[in-house]
Amino acid sequence: MRIATVQSLKVAAKKARSERESIKTEVLVCAGTGCLANGSLAVVESLERSICSRKLTAELKLGLKTTGCHGFCEKGPLVVIQPKGIFYKGVKPKDVKEIIEKTLISGEVIERLLYRDPNTKERIEEYTEIPFYSRQLRIALRNIGKIDPGSIDDYIAVGGYAGLATALTEMTPEEVIDSITKSGLRGRGGGGFPAGRKWKTCRNAPAETRYVLCNADEGDPGAFMDRSICEGDPHAVIEGMVIGAWAVGANSGSIYVREEYPLAVKHLQLAIDQAREKGFLGDDILGSGFSYDVHIARGGGAFVCGESSALMKSVAGEVGEPRAKYIHSVIRGLHDQPTVLNNVETWANVPWIINEGAEKFATLGTGKSTGTKAFSLVGKVKNTGLVEVPMGITLREIIFEIGGGIIGDRPFKAVQTGGPSGGCLPEDKLDLPVDFDTLTEAGSMMGSGGMIVMDDRTCMVDTARYFLEFLVDESCGKCIPCREGVHQLHCILEDICAGEGQPGDIEKIESLSDVIVSASLCALGKSAPNPILSTLRYFRNEYEAHINDGKCAAGVCRNLFSFEISEEACVGCGLCIKACPVDSILGEKKEVHRINGKTCTRCGACRNICAVDAIKVV
Amino acid sequence: MTNNKTINLEIDGRFFQADEGMTILEVARREGIEIPTLCQHDALEPVGACRLCLVEITHPNWKGWKGLVTSCLYPIEEGLQVTTNNPEIHTARKTLLDLLLARCPEATYIQKCAAEYGITATSFKKREEETTCILCGLCVRVCAAKGCNAIGATGRGITKGIAVPFRQPPPDCIGCASCAHICPTDTIKYTDTEDLRKIWGHKFKMVKCVSCGRPVMPEKQLEFEAAKAGLDAKYLTTCPQCSQDQTLATVQSSFQSKTVPGGSLEVAR
Amino acid sequence: MEKTLVITPSRCTACKTCELACSFKHVRNGALGLSRIRAFMRGEGKNVILTCFQCDEAACVKVCPVTALTRSESTGAIEVDEGRCIGCGLCSVACPFGHMNHDSAMRIAVKCDLCKGEPACATFCPTRTLEYK
Repeated sequence: MRIATVQSLKVAAKKARSERESIKTEVLVCAGTGCLANGSLAVVESLERSICSRKLTAELKLGLKTTGCHGFCEKGPLVVIQPKGIFYKGVKPKDVKEIIEKTLISGEVIERLLYRDPNTKERIEEYTEIPFYSRQLRIALRNIGKIDPGSIDDYIAVGGYAGLATALTEMTPEEVIDSITKSGLRGRGGGGFPAGRKWKTCRNAPAETRYVLCNADEGDPGAFMDRSICEGDPHAVIEGMVIGAWAVGANSGSIYVREEYPLAVKHLQLAIDQAREKGFLGDDILGSGFSYDVHIARGGGAFVCGESSALMKSVAGEVGEPRAKYIHSVIRGLHDQPTVLNNVETWANVPWIINEGAEKFATLGTGKSTGTKAFSLVGKVKNTGLVEVPMGITLREIIFEIGGGIIGDRPFKAVQTGGPSGGCLPEDKLDLPVDFDTLTEAGSMMGSGGMIVMDDRTCMVDTARYFLEFLVDESCGKCIPCREGVHQLHCILEDICAGEGQPGDIEKIESLSDVIVSASLCALGKSAPNPILSTLRYFRNEYEAHINDGKCAAGVCRNLFSFEISEEACVGCGLCIKACPVDSILGEKKEVHRINGKTCTRCGACRNICAVDAIKVV
Repeated sequence: MTNNKTINLEIDGRFFQADEGMTILEVARREGIEIPTLCQHDALEPVGACRLCLVEITHPNWKGWKGLVTSCLYPIEEGLQVTTNNPEIHTARKTLLDLLLARCPEATYIQKCAAEYGITATSFKKREEETTCILCGLCVRVCAAKGCNAIGATGRGITKGIAVPFRQPPPDCIGCASCAHICPTDTIKYTDTEDLRKIWGHKFKMVKCVSCGRPVMPEKQLEFEAAKAGLDAKYLTTCPQCSQDQTLATVQSSFQSKTVPGGSLEVAR
Repeated sequence: MEKTLVITPSRCTACKTCELACSFKHVRNGALGLSRIRAFMRGEGKNVILTCFQCDEAACVKVCPVTALTRSESTGAIEVDEGRCIGCGLCSVACPFGHMNHDSAMRIAVKCDLCKGEPACATFCPTRTLEYK
């Protein structure tokens, strides 16, 4: 079954394509982690059973496929019926019968399973017309949701490994590097370092052995771009890595993936096994004489192991602590040899660039940030999920057009980008173009693509405290400023949130942050104060209100506010009375309710449930 | 490789030459320029954990860019300009010691270091669980240098600690107590009696001096050291005092037997 | 040719000037250093001076786990690199003559380094028991 030459790859691709084309109707069920958790496997099983028992495969030329994440995780389990692109959300096994009879056999659309635009309230039939999808441009995620990640033939059918064939037979390693340089591709893992330059330095470093690694240790809270790619299109990552290895002259490498991503590990391993069997990994790839193989290194889920030097130590079996990178890892990396490390999304872009051309990639996005970027859009936004957009699109477009705006149409307050080391940007930054340099200038960063949207019920001091808590837990503890300094910053924030803030705390935070930024060993420490510094920059008044006035206007820090029911607004519906876990709300039906401030724990259950927004923070 | 290449660099306005491959700290120390350190030891691999040795570097070609680096790790390069102390560096060092004092208020060594920067009490919140360990990692590295790798760091962040595998007496420990000797804050303890050395939960039986019977080193260490040096263990079983006494006796008896009749004894080449 | 520290015991009065000179030469942080040479009074003509033999195949060098002991190219003396020494004391046990000392305050090994070529003991010895020639 080995594909030994480029010619036989073309034959295999043709065969796989014609097999795909023989299928008239294709049912694609999302089996990404989000939809699996929502029970998509049961839907698949039910579909399989019904289709088999009614012998529909031959009759309707029907294909059933489990795919990677469609991105619209919130609405799962998702089912897409091609070629029409009918998009069903929240599908349960009990819907299967109806889907088969109405949609598959009679060609009718089931209204109630369609997505309803939260703003226009209209039902939308087709996948591509849903704003969540229509505004996206998918390169790294190009195959996800369209192919079965467990089938290498499926990947070959959509042009998989053609980029590798081109690189190996029609391009020299230098030409590959030139092409990547011209494309302007920058690392998608957070640093944004130009990939072509990285590869070139590695190739030119004098050494016998070089390594090409993939960073799949995605650790930012709320981020799942890389996981979705590993789960949904693992071959794209592998193909990218082999092209990279050819370019820099590496013969082995690893994919460092966290153990908490069991499905990603499984799909990557399956893909590696398949790629080896077909001869895309191993010796003499496609008859070129070039050899490269890749192994999976499973990480224990330490955030710091996403840092390149710590990752390389972990791959080598040592304690995952960063080292000072005065000599870069492209010169002295894994086992002290020149090493190229790029993250999942970066690698997934590489085959596309080789196939479609560097120029095409470079025309997308903005000057210094070309191509697209995947984001995991989460928080208080209507459409949460995985999105890929061209660089340079504004935050407003992502949040309000793709994301559909804020839940409950509440006021937007801030968006946190770049993961825990990123920052929070306020409303007046919403029209900033999303690219590496603009976000950094604004005091946040691109990071690996986490994007958390916050509304007016989010306390920015508490948000900073939350991210600091994460960083205290995840600091490796090697150097003093990060280990002790971030802990002290967290202590000060805890005090402020508990209503024990002191005048001078802000100045103390600032001076300590300065030292942490300048003195920490690795990027994690150097960027650890970012959540505080960016919130201080844009929401300093909230800090001052907490410290000086003892007030948390967002109603989050429990010692710093109380709830009151507005007499004008309350309709006496009793919902809050039912919701209150400590029976602190009293009142008769249709009469204004009252909160007993003494027993109220300020949990916010009443505020969340109130339909007329009568619960006020005072 | 290129160890013989000479590098020209500037430290605090003075010009020096040094071999390629040296660190800023090595050159500075050689020239008598003081840079404080806590986790550095000449015999052990530098790790840059304590950050006290921060210096500012810049270069005429760097278009005005300058930044702080750890001098214990930064390899010198041609034309490098180093400043070993300025207000920013001073503040950083002071803050680092302040932070350490919050972690280890009882560690006398840290108290002493902090006092040099005018800190007598930490301005930060004191740590609740008492410790004197500053996590410099010297113990772990010296254990590795001895070839034992018996102890290591566990956990991460603020809960990180120096520990033994599975909290059991470490099987690779030979009881040499190098970890305790190198610890700048005396956090690692051991006790010696005539027969036993207690360290890391072990009770090591001591080898007695063949001459006087005083304890020399743990049996396990003797075995290890003899094998490592390729020596018969019997050469490592006399205490230094008895060795000296024996030498003294030998020299004296040589006078009596007149093997050196009033002549000279050449003791050095 | 390298110079040698030559001891002529018959001239020794065990006045211990050598020990003092050694301590003064190795003053550290304002305190007298440990003397690396010792004079034993055993009566006229029987007094003994003990100091390092700078052995060709030195046991101390052999056992040091961190190569803190190296032979000086200029004097031929085995010197302690105080920055490297981890004070494990193995050299003290290994020296068959008991010539290694241990500075317990500094936690390092201490031994005769021939004062880098100007041994103070010889310079100050009033009876020329110790000569560096």
